[in-house]
Amino acid sequence: MAAPFQEIGHGSGELISEAHLLVTQLYDPANQRNPAKIDEVQSRLQHIQKSDHAWEIADFLLRERSAHHRFMGALTFTVKINVSGGDLKETMTVQILERLVNHFIAIVNEGEQAFVIRKLASSLIAIFRHPATSWKRALWQLAASLAHGGFVQEEEAQTVDFLTGVLPALSTQQATALLFFSVALAEETLRLDTEPQNLVGPVIQRAVSNIKDGFLLVQYITRQIAQHPAVSQSESPEVTLGNEAMIAWKAWLGVYGSRLHPGHGEERRVLAVSCGRDIMETLRIPSLSENAASILTQAFETRSWAFDAESIWTISQILSDSIVTMHILEMTKGNEGSESMTFVDLLVAYVSHLQLNLFSDPMKPENARILGIVHDIFKTPGYAVIDDLATPRVLEYWNEIAEGLPDELQQNDPRYEAVKTHLAQVVLGLFNKLLYPTPSDLSDLSDDERGEFNAFRYDACDYLLSVYPILGVELVSVFQESATTHLGNNDWLGFEAAMFCIAQLSEAVDENGHADQCLDAIFGSDAFSRLCAGGETGIPLKARQTLVDAFGKYESYFERHNSLLPGVLNILFESLNFETCAQAASRSILTLSKSCGRVLTAELPVFLDQLDQFRAKPTATVSTMPKVLEGIATIIQRLPTDDEKVQTLERILRFFVQEANQARDEAASSAYDIARAHGHLVLSCIASIGRGLRADTDEVINVDATEEENPYPPSFWNAGPGSGAQQLIMEAMRLLILDFPVDSGIIDSACDILKAGYTESSGLFVFPPSLTVDFIKSFPLGISGTDVIMATASSFLASHASHSMQIRDQAVALIVHVAQLFSSMLEEPDLYDPETANAGIDFLARLLPKYYPIVFSLTEPLPSASDSASQRPPIFVVLLNFTLHALTRPEPLTLRSGSAFWVAMLDLRGGSPEETAALDQVLEQFIPTLCETLIRQIAGHCARSDLLSLNDVLRRTVFKKMGLARPSLTAALNALDAQVNDADGHQASVLSPQDKSRFLESLIVARGQRQPSLDLIRAFWLKCRGMAFDYAG
Amino acid sequence: MSLCLNRLQEERKQWRRDHPFGFVAKPQKTAQGTLDLKRWECAVPGKKDTLWDGGIFKLDVIFPDEYPTKPPKCKFTPPLFHPNVYPSGTVCLSILNEEEAWRPAITIKQILLGIQDLLNDPNPESPAQADAYNLFKKDRPAYERRVKQVVKENPPM
Repeated sequence: MAAPFQEIGHGSGELISEAHLLVTQLYDPANQRNPAKIDEVQSRLQHIQKSDHAWEIADFLLRERSAHHRFMGALTFTVKINVSGGDLKETMTVQILERLVNHFIAIVNEGEQAFVIRKLASSLIAIFRHPATSWKRALWQLAASLAHGGFVQEEEAQTVDFLTGVLPALSTQQATALLFFSVALAEETLRLDTEPQNLVGPVIQRAVSNIKDGFLLVQYITRQIAQHPAVSQSESPEVTLGNEAMIAWKAWLGVYGSRLHPGHGEERRVLAVSCGRDIMETLRIPSLSENAASILTQAFETRSWAFDAESIWTISQILSDSIVTMHILEMTKGNEGSESMTFVDLLVAYVSHLQLNLFSDPMKPENARILGIVHDIFKTPGYAVIDDLATPRVLEYWNEIAEGLPDELQQNDPRYEAVKTHLAQVVLGLFNKLLYPTPSDLSDLSDDERGEFNAFRYDACDYLLSVYPILGVELVSVFQESATTHLGNNDWLGFEAAMFCIAQLSEAVDENGHADQCLDAIFGSDAFSRLCAGGETGIPLKARQTLVDAFGKYESYFERHNSLLPGVLNILFESLNFETCAQAASRSILTLSKSCGRVLTAELPVFLDQLDQFRAKPTATVSTMPKVLEGIATIIQRLPTDDEKVQTLERILRFFVQEANQARDEAASSAYDIARAHGHLVLSCIASIGRGLRADTDEVINVDATEEENPYPPSFWNAGPGSGAQQLIMEAMRLLILDFPVDSGIIDSACDILKAGYTESSGLFVFPPSLTVDFIKSFPLGISGTDVIMATASSFLASHASHSMQIRDQAVALIVHVAQLFSSMLEEPDLYDPETANAGIDFLARLLPKYYPIVFSLTEPLPSASDSASQRPPIFVVLLNFTLHALTRPEPLTLRSGSAFWVAMLDLRGGSPEETAALDQVLEQFIPTLCETLIRQIAGHCARSDLLSLNDVLRRTVFKKMGLARPSLTAALNALDAQVNDADGHQASVLSPQDKSRFLESLIVARGQRQPSLDLIRAFWLKCRGMAFDYAG
Repeated sequence: MSLCLNRLQEERKQWRRDHPFGFVAKPQKTAQGTLDLKRWECAVPGKKDTLWDGGIFKLDVIFPDEYPTKPPKCKFTPPLFHPNVYPSGTVCLSILNEEEAWRPAITIKQILLGIQDLLNDPNPESPAQADAYNLFKKDRPAYERRVKQVVKENPPM
């Protein structure tokens, strides 16, 4: 490459003129609305900036009169340095550096605008980081050159002391420019930390040799500025200088603290800390205080080592008594806005830095004053997070203190009591901040603001829960007193806030009963009784919503105080009418009915009347109504006789049959969506009644019992007075399943209805087994919801497992149904439905342990669906063939369920020698195909994530059926012929015969253990597929 | 203090200082009221203008002793209807898999944001539950109706 700066020749002259014109066009206001033109100009400029003549162009542009041209001149230098790479040799870098420094001095001395100076500082950084440069003490040299008025060699610069000789010679403008460069150098050094050290290590070594000069410059400027009279004028250059010095401090702290280059010496650390103290003093200067606060806050949060005891003393004096204190106190009075938050942030950073050390014994007077200010912040007017940003910040600090106290101080430590007193004071200060906005204020808030305020209330409750172990029940009593007083005065805002806090504290006090007396004082009061009586209480919606939430959270308390329940449930039913309360109210009705059903039976008629009113309301939806019905059914279940139960249930169920008929009418008039939604609501309500009616006993049906019992014995509910109610349910199901639009929600609910009785021995929801079988068989192949249907079939068989032979016919019907589905999918691949495949195999895998004798007795051919002459294979063969086919499928769930089936199959143990022999016979028939399928799949055919489930089958095959499996595995391995291209481009086998036999032997040695087998299989898969698929590779 | 607890303390600090709006992440409290840093109660809101908007979904994040070398386990409580959530509630996500994209530098904030992204952008290649996966693949309107129902059942606190 030629020398960078030559006489301007013919070629470069043209390019220079062009570059000049392009920059003029780039900034021409007329072109600003023409992005195509701007793009075109930029693209050409970028091309020129990389050309051979870029040096002359940059040099020329930097001498131009317009700042935009000079800016582009600096940028051209940077671009050209960066693209030149290895073309730049050391001698050239020296020339470029000299030219850049001279330009820098010239523009600074001419009063250049900051953006151009910064851009030229970037060009200096670009040459600094060039590997061919030997520039080291860059700050010193640039400062000396600025002071001298022209380029000074590095060695020469160091003959004058930096602090006492060079810096005092600089003007304000020169010092500011030097700081721009200092910040850029420090920030670039930090950026270099993330790049490969073998490439940038030497540059970083040169850069860190500037740390001391960086801090000395900060110290010198900060001290000078603090005494400069012009600093009192906010627009003065000295203020800019002071602010830039703070930024430089922060940047060099980053370099000093860098994890890649630790240990830059104690001297530099002391210097850095001393700079910090000097910056603290600028907090007293109004024009600098805000920036100083911001920089110090960041340093506290990320560079806590930059403060020593003296720094802490200095800042405590300033925070407790200075203009900083004044700003914060004025803000707490509402006289200053969010601009003063910077000072609050500093205050919080300071107290967070000290943590529990703030509470020394005795407490330092300045810290006592600071704590007073911290408490005063809760008095800031306005809503937290929205108008008052300070409260959430100090709350974070108190939360940390509350969480740390129990672990860090013993209770007998005198400081423990002091901290406890402060934590209690915070609770009192916080309460007003939790008052929910009045309706008129609320209407002025955006959704986000409401959300943020709600989030703040939960953060505040997080604090209450953290402080409860320290303050104990006294904490609840504070809110109880507040709740009772406000309730007595009909002050709903106060009542709501108090109840909100009490509700959140339930986590700490509901079950242990520690706060029962406090709760008695609220819920046992006359004012609360009036509220329970309902009618015109005047309780606003928000307070009602919070109260409803609180009821649900104090389930154990109400269980212990069940005399309060009728009143509470009355409020809850009333609350169902309000959209914002209905969800929580229905949830609380369910929770309380479940835990206290027995004492509520006398109230049932009232609740049923309330249900009648509710079901016609728009708030009666699929999210609310089923919960209410489940709650009511739970109470019905507690009635002493079946006769009483059936009367109530018929009353409810008749309504739902009417509704089902209405849904059918809607479907008939083609209003399918409305009909589906209606049908879903009806069936989900009936299903929830089933859940509520489940016998109130821990006794579960013993699925392992061996006695052969009648699966459907005559009972009150199917042959007696209860049969009418059961018929109503079956009628509703029939209306909404047969010839009704298929809907996955309806299927879910219908399955829930069937399942509700599976765990009962007798009851309204114990239906004839044929109902389940007919229901399952009624759905065609491929519908959405098959997995739920087949899971219901599994539950059905599981519930009859103790007397499986008694429901043989139903079991066979279901198995044959599944075999038909499988067969259709195998015969007509277009009909293949992954959901049916997966759900059907799951069903088989689950029934296998108890029903395998039935499965393997199905040796007759599967009946043909059509009149086809060809005979289908035996039913059990169809089933097993399909499960083997599943192991080859690309769908992960199907392959997973196929694997789970074969795991269940290989785990089977016959109950008698005959059964064992029969099982072995089946396995003998299928293991060769199973082995071949498994080996082919793990030889790179399956997805990597499938290996986990295939491993489970293979390791069992190897461990449990070795004799049977070994020849098949060997044959399957030998049949593998995967090939790759070797280094010479010839085809070569991936696996040698030795590889194959070693793999099998290793599997055998692993003895079926999960992880070792998996490791072997993964390695085998990788070898076959190629190492590019190795995550770790 | 162990590396695991040190890191969790730092995560707690960072979370307090800066966390995305609407998200919750806090260590659980033991019966004695002290913090169990290895079990966090978290909540992820549905992303704005998506099907999941308006819901907030609770999950437990359980950190192993080897954290951050090994990833935490994230488990929706109760289990969530979603193609990439196992029936147990455990989330199936590459950044939570030690053998895939987990890196010790991943923060709790990134994990929860990743889970929020996953809600509306399921990965059909890694199904974890049949229920949501089948509906997602086969009957998108029904899937969306079901998600809306799930959202209704998990309203903001």
